Amino acid sequence: MNVGNNGKILCAAAGISHEFAKPEGNRLKVLDNINLQIRSGEVVALLGPSGCGKSTILRILAGLIKPTAGDVFTHGEKLAGLNKGAAIVFQGFALYPWMTVTENVEVVLKSTGYPFGEIGDRVRETVKMVGLSGFEDAYPRELSGGMKQRVGIARAIAVKPELLFMDEPFSQVDALTAESLRAEVLDIWEMAGANPQSILMVSHDIKEVVYMADRIVVLGAHPGRIRTVMENPLSRPRDYRSPEFQRLVERLHDIISGHEMPDVAVEPVMPPNFIEPLPNCSASEIVGLLEYLDARGGIADVFQISVDTRREFGQIITIVKGAEMLDMVDTPKRMVTLTAVGKQFTKASPEDRKNVWRGQMLQLNLFRTIKELIDKHPEQAISKELVQEIIVMHMPFENYEPLFDNLIRWARYGNLFSYDETSETLSPP
Amino acid sequence: MEWMPWGVPGRFRLRPLTAYWPDAVFILCLAGLFYGLAGFEEQITAHFRPAFEIDLSPLALPKYALFSLARGLAAYAISLIFTLLYGYWAAKDERAGSILVPLLDVLQSIPVLGFMPGVVLALIALFPRSNIGLELASIIMIFTGQAWNMTFGFYHSLRSLPPEQREAAAVFRFNWWQKLRWVELPSAASGLVWNSMMSMAGGWFFLMVSEAFMLGERDYRLPGLGSYMSVAVDKGNYPAMAWAFLAMIAIIVALDQLLWRPLTVWVRRYRLEESGGETDTDSSWFLEWLTKLKVLKAAELGLHHLMMRPTKQPAHPLTPPVRGKIERWLLSSLRWALFAAVIGVLLYAAAQLAGLVAELGVAEWKAVWYSTFLTFLRVFVVLLAATLWTLPVGILIGRSPAALKILRPVVQIAASFPAPMLFPVMVALFIWLHLSLGWGSILLMLLGSQWYILFNVIGAAAAVPADLKEATVSFRLSGWRQFTALYVPAVFPALVTGWVTAAGGAWNASIVAEKVSYNGQPLATDGIGALISQSAERGDFHTLAASIMVMAAVVVLLNRVLWGRLSGLAQERYSLGK
Repeated sequence: MNVGNNGKILCAAAGISHEFAKPEGNRLKVLDNINLQIRSGEVVALLGPSGCGKSTILRILAGLIKPTAGDVFTHGEKLAGLNKGAAIVFQGFALYPWMTVTENVEVVLKSTGYPFGEIGDRVRETVKMVGLSGFEDAYPRELSGGMKQRVGIARAIAVKPELLFMDEPFSQVDALTAESLRAEVLDIWEMAGANPQSILMVSHDIKEVVYMADRIVVLGAHPGRIRTVMENPLSRPRDYRSPEFQRLVERLHDIISGHEMPDVAVEPVMPPNFIEPLPNCSASEIVGLLEYLDARGGIADVFQISVDTRREFGQIITIVKGAEMLDMVDTPKRMVTLTAVGKQFTKASPEDRKNVWRGQMLQLNLFRTIKELIDKHPEQAISKELVQEIIVMHMPFENYEPLFDNLIRWARYGNLFSYDETSETLSPP
Repeated sequence: MEWMPWGVPGRFRLRPLTAYWPDAVFILCLAGLFYGLAGFEEQITAHFRPAFEIDLSPLALPKYALFSLARGLAAYAISLIFTLLYGYWAAKDERAGSILVPLLDVLQSIPVLGFMPGVVLALIALFPRSNIGLELASIIMIFTGQAWNMTFGFYHSLRSLPPEQREAAAVFRFNWWQKLRWVELPSAASGLVWNSMMSMAGGWFFLMVSEAFMLGERDYRLPGLGSYMSVAVDKGNYPAMAWAFLAMIAIIVALDQLLWRPLTVWVRRYRLEESGGETDTDSSWFLEWLTKLKVLKAAELGLHHLMMRPTKQPAHPLTPPVRGKIERWLLSSLRWALFAAVIGVLLYAAAQLAGLVAELGVAEWKAVWYSTFLTFLRVFVVLLAATLWTLPVGILIGRSPAALKILRPVVQIAASFPAPMLFPVMVALFIWLHLSLGWGSILLMLLGSQWYILFNVIGAAAAVPADLKEATVSFRLSGWRQFTALYVPAVFPALVTGWVTAAGGAWNASIVAEKVSYNGQPLATDGIGALISQSAERGDFHTLAASIMVMAAVVVLLNRVLWGRLSGLAQERYSLGK
């Protein structure tokens, strides 16, 4: 089935950008100039950290969301409304708890106008295909997460869509079941004959996409954009332990981490008025990372950290970046190491930790600016709006709401200043 | 799956005939009920008889109770239809929704007497010769006490469908009717049943007013439990009052055991898994008995298949017929027409009201505002007093599983009991104690509205997560500290919900609390409730319109400004959901 890049284009995104209107009135750009083609006979994966808009791309291609700019084409024609050739497998299953397995599949065949007399046969066929025989009359609440997602898959392939969209399909399924489901989905796809011709999946799991996809689209965040597209030449069935597989996984890492974690050398050169945005992670996450490193001799592979802590890779990178800004860790290549300050921090008493943390925070322009502001007007409360204004002024492209929340979380940990949620004001500790 | 409504034929013969006795009993009961309702039909079609002569003998009571029950259920049926249509329309049509939702808020705050004159006069004019008009008027008055919160609940269920469910319905191209049957109605069912229970109680609250009322010095009385009670009160016949009281309890308990309890248990299957909660431990003996019935099993299966049945079969697989231009044009013009109709009705009502109100002088307006202010103060005293006792008691009940099991159903019954039926006894007590009605009415309003707070507090206290409870115990917090540190904040969101409902209830109750009768003598104190009921009796529609308008405006304003903010705060700060 793997015909590489020669299949005809089933669906394409051309210059898609998307913005969400926020309740306060301003707009948040989530996608920037996405160009993407899905050809017949391939599995394409969108890989990226949370918040990079990968699920939004999938929904735009399915016609559920209309992009602010750019077009979707199906078979060369501009898409208006729903993409009729696509069916979606949802992250949260989205099954009907009041219907049996059979009925869950039946209703979509009825609604999509499957020939009436053949519905019964088609339901039996698909239910068998996904390994749900014997569960025909069970209700979703009686099934495990893996079994529920089998129903989700059965429902999607029952209507014989030419495109099967899967939105993080295995993230709510336990690890072992996910592994077998991946293989089964590929089997179904290879055996299915005409439809589904192609699969588009969204994932944040590097191994998963290397196992499944022919083409891996690596996305970056804020706003979501395509960073690079990698072809996966490995023949199926793929073996997670084969050296080729491992090499590909590592290359993807390097692509992601190489961009997300610039080496220290570039960091210190900053224009004088530069204010750094804070990565979206809490102080306790950073402390957790430092403890983790300390327990492993002060050095660890960033990928290993993600596996050990069972955290999403993108989130780990964010935490590492946070620690790096405070000069607590270094990131040579894929490794993360504790710096002298980091070591001092992990050895310190809880009270001293706060002092170290505060000292490191004050190295950052953002905290210094706000601290100076508070110190200058000791009797006057500094409002949330004022601080947010400073953020917006210096970092117009950042989403100031989460940034402000983060700022407060970091500052509270270091006892730099306190924040009263009711009056929304900052004051000296 | 084959469509076999009567089960697999072979199994039929194997069962002994005695296995069917529950079916026989059930069918006999149904037949009995229909026979009883036939009497109601005779009453409706009988000659116009505005003031029915009520027989105070206890033997006549079962028939009256059955009549009232029939009216309540008929009103409920109308409420349900209204809810489905209005809620669906408001949720689906953004433009109409922007008018319909606030309108619902206003309708909710208009007391039943605000609807009475228009409804009664119009319907009697429509059916001058038979009782149909008067009966319909009574049913519609009960309906105005039931419908609004059901409609709100249904609207919110429709709007809060999880996004993935919405997307799945779109991707698999459910048309509106399929979406309604397969997704929206099932997911709204649970909330609808709970709100129906509340609504039914709301309908009983004004049963006496809805069955026996004065309009422009003219007496209207329909045969029913509410009229029986008011006649008993007028005559000071205490035994008859006690009988009416018992009959009301019987109706409420019967409805609870035979209708609501089985429904709430049965409807649990129609819940999206994400929205768990509520009382999972409840069970219903009646439902267990019903599930043994072959007749009902067949009916349920039939209903299920009806729900799952395909609607229209599109011509070609994967390409459902594109909705034609004419069809789309018709739909959009229908929407505009309905929207215009609503606006038209609203403008007409506003013009009528303005006309009525325009003739009032400054002194009358002053009286209206002064009365509203007095009642406003009473409502807040009521909330304060109710909170003082229900908060600790509710927490104590909710905290102990044993107390919860016994007392929750009792509180539920107490909450559905129409408090106005107790007022005559209370008034006699006030007179004996030389307590003025100005203060006494606060107690009456309290009697009618405290249950909402108690009920909500119990529910929230019972739902405090076990680990939080264990934490407070393991840190050896004293009893008082447990209350202030854990339970009071944990129940706060529910307390706010209780306040909102109780405040609405108290405003409504003021109408029957500030003007009462004692041994046939009217007794009143200053307040907007008294002003409303007196002006309705006198047929002074100018004052009535002004009073209703001011009261509705104040209630809506309080909802928006005070309660809206408080519940926002409660959700943000004290919600245990996060």
